[in-house]
Amino acid sequence: MGRKIFIVEDEPVVAMCLEDILLDFGCSIIGPVGRLSEGLVIAEAVEADAAILDVNLGGERSDAIASVLRARGIPYILATGYGATANTGEHIVPLVSKPYCEEQLRSALESVIAL
Amino acid sequence: MMAEPIENADSTAPSDIPNGGDEFRMIAESAPVAVWVTGLDGKRSFVNRVYAEFLGVDQESARDFNWRSILHPDDSARIIAEAQAGKAALKPFTLEGRYRRADGEWRWLKSTLQPRRDGDGNPAGFFGVAHDVTETKLAELALREREAQLLVFVNQGTAGFSQVDISGRFTMVNDRFCEISGWPREELLGRSMQSITHPNDLGRNIPLFERMMRDGTPYSHEKRYVRPDGTLVWVNNSVALIRDDEGKPLGSSCVTLDVTRRREDEAALRKSEESIRLAVESAGMATWELDLDTMEGVWSLNRFDLLGLPRRADGRGSINDWLALIHPDDVEQVRETAYACFDRGTPFMIEYRILRADTGEERWLQSHGDRIMAGDENDLRFVAVSFDITERKRNEEELRTSETRFRTIFEEANDYIITADLDTRITSVNPSVVAALGYPEDALVGRSISEFLAPGQMEVVERLRDHKLEHGGTTRFSVRMRTHAAGGDLIWEINSRLTLDALGRPTGIHAIARDVTESKRFEMHQRLLIDELNHRVKNTLAIVQGIAQQTFRNPGIAMEARKAFEGRIAALSEAHNLLTRELWAPVPIHQVMADAIAPHCGGDRCHIEGCDLTLEPKTAISLALAIHELATNAVKHGALSNEAGRISITWQKTEDEKGKRLKLAWVESDGPPVSVPKRRGFGTRMIERGLAAELGGSVCIEFAAGGLRCEVDAPLPETAE
Repeated sequence: MGRKIFIVEDEPVVAMCLEDILLDFGCSIIGPVGRLSEGLVIAEAVEADAAILDVNLGGERSDAIASVLRARGIPYILATGYGATANTGEHIVPLVSKPYCEEQLRSALESVIAL
Repeated sequence: MMAEPIENADSTAPSDIPNGGDEFRMIAESAPVAVWVTGLDGKRSFVNRVYAEFLGVDQESARDFNWRSILHPDDSARIIAEAQAGKAALKPFTLEGRYRRADGEWRWLKSTLQPRRDGDGNPAGFFGVAHDVTETKLAELALREREAQLLVFVNQGTAGFSQVDISGRFTMVNDRFCEISGWPREELLGRSMQSITHPNDLGRNIPLFERMMRDGTPYSHEKRYVRPDGTLVWVNNSVALIRDDEGKPLGSSCVTLDVTRRREDEAALRKSEESIRLAVESAGMATWELDLDTMEGVWSLNRFDLLGLPRRADGRGSINDWLALIHPDDVEQVRETAYACFDRGTPFMIEYRILRADTGEERWLQSHGDRIMAGDENDLRFVAVSFDITERKRNEEELRTSETRFRTIFEEANDYIITADLDTRITSVNPSVVAALGYPEDALVGRSISEFLAPGQMEVVERLRDHKLEHGGTTRFSVRMRTHAAGGDLIWEINSRLTLDALGRPTGIHAIARDVTESKRFEMHQRLLIDELNHRVKNTLAIVQGIAQQTFRNPGIAMEARKAFEGRIAALSEAHNLLTRELWAPVPIHQVMADAIAPHCGGDRCHIEGCDLTLEPKTAISLALAIHELATNAVKHGALSNEAGRISITWQKTEDEKGKRLKLAWVESDGPPVSVPKRRGFGTRMIERGLAAELGGSVCIEFAAGGLRCEVDAPLPETAE
């Protein structure tokens, strides 16, 4: 089995789409999780090779989850509908814009883990 | 005194007179003067009581007294000689000299000796009388001494001294007068004072002289003497009448001083006064004076000019000439001020308007006036200078207007106006600042600007201050201000520049600020809304993509179709990204092209070139989708389907009979041979119809052998202007 990817995405259809693409890449999926509180709990314990975080979770930012992942040394990429304007804080993290496009997603993931 | 004693040997008539004439003897005896009688032999036959008393002996002894023994040594030889001569001549004679009286005192005696004859008429001797003239003699000597002294004074004095008779003829002149007048004494004594006086001065001189002769009035005046060489000398003469013993005019005496030098000095002074006057007048100052009795006086010529009056030949003007020209609104004030000076001596400086006599033009004048005492307190005069200050007044007025204007701006502006020194210490604030920050003015002025800035803002202020000091100009920046008022911090957009002194050196900072808190808030709110909108658009696109993906996953649906769909959704999304970045404002066409082509074409295979244009968001999306379709086609079939193909996207603005137009061309080259498709697909149709409709122009796709060409010809989109 390939890499384990933790997905945080609040839009089910989009999450499904993301799942399909990742499955095509040969990855296995943890999640998807759509709510911040739930995401935080899982992030504390999840055994994942990498994570894909939607920045905006139903009006809340997912920054807290990013902090946990960062603390646990789990690499992650951010997904946003804001285009290039999303605030990534002082950390340089790969950013993909929705809707997902296979090529963009692959290169973003490959910059943090080997697929 | 006494003549040589005459021997009383002769007993004839002459001797009988004293002896026989009791009456005579009695008279002689009681006379208050010394009396004696001598004979031809010189022996004294009679001496009276006074004679004996002088010698201090009895009368008997006195007859034989040797008077030579009591002669003063200085007089002795002379008197003896005169006595002998007189006796020998048998004629009357007198002797005068000093004899020692019995008490030892030297007395002047004047003796008169008269020959006497006997009954036959023959000489019989002398009859002598001696007066004690000591007092007279001493007085005379003293007088003579004084005269001698006076003469020395007169001759050696610095003053000339002269006397003339009633006709003016010189009767006496001293050395100094000769020196002053230049005439030798002997010449003067044959001349009259009139003959050496300058003809032009006689007119004043003669009446004075004649009046003095008439009623004795002394006078003193200045006049010129003409010297023998024709040169002139100015003299000051004090002249007094001389009368004879009966009080009749005898002539005059005159003390003369040479005042040529003083006159020259005075002339020089007048000249320098004249220079001062010229300087004053050329500085635009008109001078005038007023005789307070007649209320008129001499005006400088430029005073007439100043008032617009014709210059008068006599240069005189009156108080009313002046007051008549003063502006009706000012005249009472001026009159009051001027009369306070005339009456009480209060000096003044007034500014007032006149209406020029010639043109009626209103001018502002400034006058300084003072009352002065010319001679004594009965000779009071008023002197003044006036000059035109219209220019100054107008400048002041303009300054005041402009000051008021700026003051109004400063006070009333809604904008915040702050001045500070170069150390950013506040030097003034307008009321708006006070109201906005909620601190009283005195809590602001004198404090550093930093005290009213949010943390971290002072660095910005100082950096921009330094930038201004180095480069000058105006800086514009936004800072967050800390307020004492309700509502929290304010965001001010501040325009500031340096204030400079007359030499261009910076003296401080002048800042005008505007509260942009609301607009910043609004901007942020709008930003949030747009972000939210973008988020939703992108999310919707992502959902559409997800639905499509799930739908297309069914077996029997071509992978190719799914990819095409995903590509189109992605292109739409990319176009939205650009609009999001630009906040849905018009976007540059170049950026639209570059973003649309980027997913398909790396490196230098695409050449994008055209003029600067911005496109409305809707136009930008249509164009981006069209480019996506062209690029997808190029990747599949055209120039991007091999390694060598190239694409050129160019556009330019043109103008023809239909107006301003945009012409855009997509030209592929070096791709594989082009085959014309049997059926126009979605992409081609979307370009030809969608874009054409959006742009309101024509889009033409030509499957040329060398490479696909797509040419757009549309009216220039409005925002491109």
